Amino acid sequence: MNKELEHNFVKLLEQHQNIVHKVCRLYTNNQDAHNDLFQEITIQLWKAYPKFRGDAKFSTWMYRVGLNTAITLYRKSKRSINTQNFEGVEFKIKAEVYDDTEEQQLKILYKAVHQLNDIEKALVFLYLEDKDYREISETLGISEVNARVKMNRIKTKLRTILNP
Amino acid sequence: MDELDLLKKDWNKDDSTYPKLSYNEIYKMILKKSSSIVKWIFIISLLEFGFWLALSFLLKGTAYSSKMESLNMNHILIPITVISYAVLIYFFYLFYKNYRNISATDSSKKLMENIIKTRKTVKYYVIFNLASLVVGACIGAFYGFSHNPEFSDKLQLASANGEVFKFYALLFIVTIIILAIVIGVLLLFYWLIYGILLKRLNQNYKELKKLEV
Repeated sequence: MNKELEHNFVKLLEQHQNIVHKVCRLYTNNQDAHNDLFQEITIQLWKAYPKFRGDAKFSTWMYRVGLNTAITLYRKSKRSINTQNFEGVEFKIKAEVYDDTEEQQLKILYKAVHQLNDIEKALVFLYLEDKDYREISETLGISEVNARVKMNRIKTKLRTILNP
Repeated sequence: MDELDLLKKDWNKDDSTYPKLSYNEIYKMILKKSSSIVKWIFIISLLEFGFWLALSFLLKGTAYSSKMESLNMNHILIPITVISYAVLIYFFYLFYKNYRNISATDSSKKLMENIIKTRKTVKYYVIFNLASLVVGACIGAFYGFSHNPEFSDKLQLASANGEVFKFYALLFIVTIIILAIVIGVLLLFYWLIYGILLKRLNQNYKELKKLEV
C-alpha cells in the first residue's frame, strides 16, 4: 500500500485515538478485550481509509467505523464474556452499599451503562460524545424520532437502576 | 440534572485516563490481519462453494456414475451439468457482489443488512443444491430401477409373492431415511457455525428493527 497514505492514516489515528479508546471502554470489561477491540477497529478504519473523503470529518467517520466494528464486525473472545458475568455480580453488591456522593453515583452509572445492550450503548456513546439526534440516527440507520424515543427509554432505565 | 448529563460531564472531563498509543504501535496494528465476522463468513462461504463443487467432481469418478453412464443417460446428465455450473457461477457472482457491498462506513443497520444478504446468497445456493440432490436422487432411483434388469427381477419376485406394495414402500422409506440423514447432518453443521458466528449480529439487528415498530 501507498506509504504516504499509511503515514497520513497513522498520524490521524494517533491524534484521534481517544475516540477508539472510548468505544472500547464501553464495549469491553478488561484490558485484554480493550486491546483486542482497539486492534480490530484500527484494522477496519485502515481498510476503509482509502475511501475516506475529506469532506467528512475524520472524527465523525471514526465514530461510525468504531461503533460498527464494536456492534457488528468484532467477534467477542470468551475472556470478555466471563468478565461480564463477574461485572454483573459486582454491580449488585455496589448497589446495596449505595450512597449519595457524586463519585459513587458515577461509578454505579458506568456499571449500569455497561449492562445495556449493544445498541443502547451505541446511543449512549453518541449522546455522551455530544452528537445530535440527526447524527445518531444516521450512524445507526434509524429515524430521528425513534432515536429520541429510545434515548428517553434508556434514561428512564438508568434512573431506575440508580434510584431503585 | 438527569443521570446521563452527570455522566456526560465526567465522560468529557479527563482524556488523559486513556492509554496513549505511539505512532509505531498504531503502525504495527494496521499490518495485522482482521478477525472480523465478515472475514469468517467469506472463508466459510468459499468452503461451501468448494464443497459442492468437489462433491460434483467426486461423484463423477465413482462406480455410481459409471453405472449411470452405462444406462445411457447423457441426454439428461449433460444439460444438468451445464445448468448446475451456470447456477454456481450466478450464485458466486451474487455472493461476491454482496460481499463487496459490505462496508464499515455504512450505517449500522445497512451494514447488518448487507452482511445478512451476503449470508443469504450462500444459504440459497445450499438450498438449491439440497433440492437438486433430492430431485436427482428421485430421478436417478426411478431411472435406474426401470432400466436395471437386477431390479426388475426382484420386482417380479416380489409381485409373485404378492408383496409389490411392501417392496415399493421399503424402497421409499430407505430413500427418505438416507436423504434425511444427509440433510440433517448438513443442517446441524449450518446451525452450529452460523448460530455461533451470527448470534450477536442477529440479536443487534432485531434490536434495531424493534426500534422501528
